[in-house]
Amino acid sequence: MSTIAQSISGVSVTVKLAMKMEDSLQAFAVRAACFIGEQDVPYSEEFDGHDFGATHIIAYAGDEPVGAVRVRWFKSFAMPERLAVIQRFRGNGIGQLLIDRCRKLAEQRGSNMLYTQSLPKDVAYWEKHGWRRLDAEETGTGAKKVVAMVAPVDPSTPLPEADEAPESVTLRREPQFDSTGLPMGSGNR
Amino acid sequence: MTVQTTTGATNRPVITIKLASTSDELMQCYMLRAAVFIGEQACPYWEEYDGNDYSASHLMLYVDGEPAASMRVRWFAGFAKLERAVILKRYRSYGLFIPFVEWAKEFCRKKGYPKAYLHGQKRLWEIFERDGFYRVGETFHFSDHEYGAFVCDLEVDEKTQPTVLTDPMVLNRPEDRLEQQGILEDSMSRGASCPHAEWTERRA
Repeated sequence: MSTIAQSISGVSVTVKLAMKMEDSLQAFAVRAACFIGEQDVPYSEEFDGHDFGATHIIAYAGDEPVGAVRVRWFKSFAMPERLAVIQRFRGNGIGQLLIDRCRKLAEQRGSNMLYTQSLPKDVAYWEKHGWRRLDAEETGTGAKKVVAMVAPVDPSTPLPEADEAPESVTLRREPQFDSTGLPMGSGNR
Repeated sequence: MTVQTTTGATNRPVITIKLASTSDELMQCYMLRAAVFIGEQACPYWEEYDGNDYSASHLMLYVDGEPAASMRVRWFAGFAKLERAVILKRYRSYGLFIPFVEWAKEFCRKKGYPKAYLHGQKRLWEIFERDGFYRVGETFHFSDHEYGAFVCDLEVDEKTQPTVLTDPMVLNRPEDRLEQQGILEDSMSRGASCPHAEWTERRA
């Protein structure tokens, strides 16, 4: 595990759950900076309609919002996603701080598995932090390829090796049945 | 004034400009600014969201329905200040900036403002000068950039600009559609029945 900074250049790093509208906006702004600004993701894909059924966790350096993650809740697992850290604050373990907060939250809620979808280039990052591939195959096409990854909520109780695939398998590339207006046909790119 | 549609060749993108009028549109505006100022220009969060967002008007530009550009307008006594103008990276070759600024100036002019004012980053000065702005005062700097103040004179139509003598129901219209009937005019057919709850009920 990498070391996790409790402070960056003397500024303390803290993590909290979004409780107010302003908190949520901070989480959204961090994601917009990273995904729309840096990675050129279209707005309508980044804000996909799942933000208001999810929990948002924010990391601060002092009072500056510098990281965010969204957790969606399913019956048999919790799903951290949209993990983002502002570029100039990277390399301080803020991502792991956020994921660890997710893990604790999942634990409190009686969940025993974390599930996420990683870009192929980020798989090594997740594996370094104790996650493993759910199955060897990538799903999706082209730039949209993702790898399903899982981790136990309690690190001392590893998930059974034999994969009974969670419902998550049906989750991937789930059509957004709540949103009628996704215009981008994003699967085609 | 709300919608500008490019016509002609069929595969040209549809450009829509409007005053942000719902919380979704405001959210889009804030997220575009986060993408460009925080994501690309390393602006600190509290400098980007400086406390003036809730006393301002926000303009949104869409390309084929996708949020592409935004601008904030603040209203002073004799001038309107255009600020926080962004275009997402992927839309920067579309030539959106000048039409967007023109739309903003027209919006200010129709509201009766004789001047549009802005702080321009030095690298953009030429563009503003070509667009009818002239520089006033000394240069200054904040948030890691050098700025000059620019003014553009707007020709206000004395006959149509809103005044206290303008038809009250015109003043009630959405501000980017002052020439179109608004929802409150539709409400007039209901008459003035003054539907307040009784005092006792209000206090229950």
